[in-house]
Amino acid sequence: MANITKKVSWSGRGEERTPLLNGSEEVRYSRQSSGGSVFHIGRLSTVDLDEDITPEEDPVRSKPKEIPHNEKLLSLKYESLDYDNSENQLFLEEERRMSHMSFRCLEISRWVICGLIGFLTGLIACFIDIAVEYLAGVKYDLVKENIEKFTEVGGLSISLILWAVLNSAFVMVGALAVAFFEPVAAGSGIPQIKCYLNGVKVPRVVRLKTLLVKVFGVICSVAGGLAVGKEGPMIHSGAVVAAGVSQGRSTSLKRDFKIFEYFRRDTEKRDFVSAGAAAGVSAAFGAPVGGVLFSLEEGASFWNQMLTWRIFFASMVSTFTLNFFLSIYHKKPGELSSPGLINFGRFDMDNVEYSLYEIPLFIIMGAIGGVLGALFNVLNYWLTIFRIRYVHRPCLQVMEAMLVAAVTATVSFAMIYFSNDCQPLETVTSEDYPLQVGFGLCTYNPLTLGLFTLTYFFLACWTYGLTVSAGVFIPSLLIGAAWGRLFGLLLSLMTTGKLVWADPGKYALMGAAAQLGGIVRMTLSLTVILVEATGNVTYGLPIMLVLLTAKIVGDYFIEGLYDVHIKLQSVPFLHWEAPATSHWLTAREVMSSPVTCFNRVEKVGTIVDVLSNTSTNHNGFPVIIQAAASEEPGKLCGLILRSQLIVLLKHKVFVERARSRLSQRKLQLKDFRDAYPRFPPIQSIHVSQDERECMMDLTEFMNPTPYTVPQETSLPRVFKLFRPLGLRHLVVVDDENRVVGLVTRKDLARYHLGKHGLEELHLAHT
Amino acid sequence: MSAVTGAGGGGARGSAVWWTALALIGGFVLSVRAAEESDSGDAARPLSPLLAEPSGPGLPAKFPDDLEVSESCVEMLRLFGERYVAAVNCLVSSARPVRVCQNCYQAYSSFNDIYTNISSGQSGNVSCQDSLMRSDRLMLLFNLYSSLTDIWTSALCTQCLTPDQKSLTNSTLDFISYLNKSLSCFEKYQENHTELCMDCKATYKGLNEMYSTMLKNKGYCIDIEDAMNVTRRLWSKKFGCTVPREETVPVIAVSSFMLFLPVIFYLSNFLHSEQKKRKLIHPKRAKSNHSLMNIQDKFS
Repeated sequence: MANITKKVSWSGRGEERTPLLNGSEEVRYSRQSSGGSVFHIGRLSTVDLDEDITPEEDPVRSKPKEIPHNEKLLSLKYESLDYDNSENQLFLEEERRMSHMSFRCLEISRWVICGLIGFLTGLIACFIDIAVEYLAGVKYDLVKENIEKFTEVGGLSISLILWAVLNSAFVMVGALAVAFFEPVAAGSGIPQIKCYLNGVKVPRVVRLKTLLVKVFGVICSVAGGLAVGKEGPMIHSGAVVAAGVSQGRSTSLKRDFKIFEYFRRDTEKRDFVSAGAAAGVSAAFGAPVGGVLFSLEEGASFWNQMLTWRIFFASMVSTFTLNFFLSIYHKKPGELSSPGLINFGRFDMDNVEYSLYEIPLFIIMGAIGGVLGALFNVLNYWLTIFRIRYVHRPCLQVMEAMLVAAVTATVSFAMIYFSNDCQPLETVTSEDYPLQVGFGLCTYNPLTLGLFTLTYFFLACWTYGLTVSAGVFIPSLLIGAAWGRLFGLLLSLMTTGKLVWADPGKYALMGAAAQLGGIVRMTLSLTVILVEATGNVTYGLPIMLVLLTAKIVGDYFIEGLYDVHIKLQSVPFLHWEAPATSHWLTAREVMSSPVTCFNRVEKVGTIVDVLSNTSTNHNGFPVIIQAAASEEPGKLCGLILRSQLIVLLKHKVFVERARSRLSQRKLQLKDFRDAYPRFPPIQSIHVSQDERECMMDLTEFMNPTPYTVPQETSLPRVFKLFRPLGLRHLVVVDDENRVVGLVTRKDLARYHLGKHGLEELHLAHT
Repeated sequence: MSAVTGAGGGGARGSAVWWTALALIGGFVLSVRAAEESDSGDAARPLSPLLAEPSGPGLPAKFPDDLEVSESCVEMLRLFGERYVAAVNCLVSSARPVRVCQNCYQAYSSFNDIYTNISSGQSGNVSCQDSLMRSDRLMLLFNLYSSLTDIWTSALCTQCLTPDQKSLTNSTLDFISYLNKSLSCFEKYQENHTELCMDCKATYKGLNEMYSTMLKNKGYCIDIEDAMNVTRRLWSKKFGCTVPREETVPVIAVSSFMLFLPVIFYLSNFLHSEQKKRKLIHPKRAKSNHSLMNIQDKFS
């Protein structure tokens, strides 16, 4: 009792502190906490952990500590997806009822859905492509006309302003949509999809609204001349299409087509989302195999052979659709060989050779790419932290995006103005409409190339992380291609005579690969994507070597860009393996405890109270059999989820009602699926005072065989169970099968290997 | 993505000295005539080396009748050779400055006709297609034909010709006359460049506009591109008629203003926007609550 009053008084004082008190308190805090930690050491050596320390520490803890945002946090906003199938009695009944035929039908409808996903993703890619081409065309015609007009009479600065204003206007529209309607559509979307495939429920990431904002935003930002590409967003778009199509309904539009109802759960949806991501990659780069491998690389823990084959089907359909519709648009119907959204051009067959002596050069280029990529990521990391801390209001974010657009236009203009040879620059900023100021005298002057690389590097780094939807693939490829070509040119200048340095285009390709690999650190899928996009298998080995080196060198400094952003979003992301040197941690130390449990037959009032408790927003509850009238925790007999309980409460499945009205329809699995994925909050469910006294029998609905581990299990072992199975809750039991704790995603994700050994992340509200 | 693969770029289109170009363009109309006449003259001359019988030891010139080429086919072959030589001759002689389309379209189209004749197999009672084109792996006729066609396609000559390929389009002829007009204007003011720049400006501008409309309508070919390139080079490099850039100061001013804006933006945000803080939460843990410190203690 004394503890509680003390706690209250501390927190009460915290709000009306005088400066003097504040100072003295600070001193006490630090003394106390350091004392506490000293004590910790002592405690650990004397195994026995006694309880009466906590009151001393509690005040320190209960004071809401505020720290500036950093990467060592885990947000409470993110939850896990239920990838583990709940094999309750309803499920078993349904399975018994289903005939052999209906399983066949399910398999066929999986293929149909994958085909649809590919088709729609291809259509979206086609739409983006055409819209960008059209808008950029209009814009550049306008600017070009203006420049031509003012070149003679003077007033080029007005053209500059016109260009900047046009760019800003496009970007403003896109940024407004993103910042005010759907902030999750910002960026390339690859980190979000990566998290989704990892098993993290990123709020609103696969909604129809997100897709619309994403497509609109990417058109605006590319047409607005930002240093961005439209490839990353394609992956996100494909994933949203997949998540939508596979459900056979749209919750946003409130339309239910009554098809594909079997697939309305996280396990099935995840498979389709990986197909959608693959279809997106395949449409973006014209690389179907690369798409499949991308999905494999990012979400590989849930794979099987048939799924791979279906995903490949979706990718192929997507490439085909894009090619088909683009061929109609370009008035060559039936010509199916256009290479996706990105066009590397083709290497002539006689240029594709490389020799043994060039391989060390390629490796050097890979190392340069790794260093530059790491630099890019570090700069972007600091910038993103600044943005999260200071530029967090939507209107400020829109302003920032507009400023970047204006500066990009200014820089491009200045480079055209002050350099005398015809640069590749214009082709870059306009993406689709090269602006020809001079007359066809295009040589790649080394100085211009160098300047271009430098400027574009900083512009791209500045642009990534703005509140616009846009990807980083194209800018990185461009930066890399520019310095790669520079490298090739310098080589041919240095070595005169005997050695014939074939085509600097080859070095441009290697530079592009190195830079992209250095930034995103993808390996297998990126190799295949580049090989497929250039349509050239000969360079497979050099590209692989370059990417390998870039990854090794880059990882020495900092993680890949997507991982940096995932960390900065405080997402509880589970990597492939538990951090090394964590075998000494046991489940007892990792788990959360005590656990809120329910009895097998529980009072409705208790359930409602627990669910509506906002401070403990639990999602899974172990179901126990309480030994009669004893204080000991009961034995585990099942696990039930919040979503299931909510459906049960909504349908008022109470023991008393079942008795009184026998005619009442029995609850089926379909009722749970209909509520998926947006289960109503507990507040919207009305439970009367009488009903609170009723009882609820959970036996039928709970998962009777949840995964459990003993307390002494080591962290890597827990991890090996948790990550590949895609678990959401893992119950920790003692030797008599009594619940002692619960391991969730956040308990595992908080350990990571930092600079000083094992570190622990903090939980925070974001 | 041109930066990835676009090799050395367009490259300088020849480096003809300006006055050679000027002289040749000046006599343009005449030269077309001359070319046509010489074409017909060439055609009359028999091209003996092509089908001459080998003298001295070697493979026999003929095989027994049943496997050999018929007379009419040999005649076709001879014609093909003549016209091929004529076309190539014409192309080479109009290589610099590029006049291939306007000088050689007749030679090319007659060459094209004979090839179509052979390959369609319609002439006479015997199919020459089989005997001439399909009997060996060398496929000499086809290769010759395709090499010429490639040149013709990449020169975009069809865009300057009327649909029946029999004459130049009106816009091409207009462009040629306008070009001649500006060139004669240039010639008039050879000595005084400042006057040249003043007086020929109107015609030069007109020429440019005409060129850009042709670009837009896809009515240009290599001849016109090249002529325009040479003229532009004359105008800006030789006569130095380009408008000097006097606007560097305003452009720099506007640019630096633009570049300065983000600095203000970020500074003001840093100073005035309140920093976003995160509230830490202390999760429920069993018995001991591990802080980073004791992990490390235990670790070490």
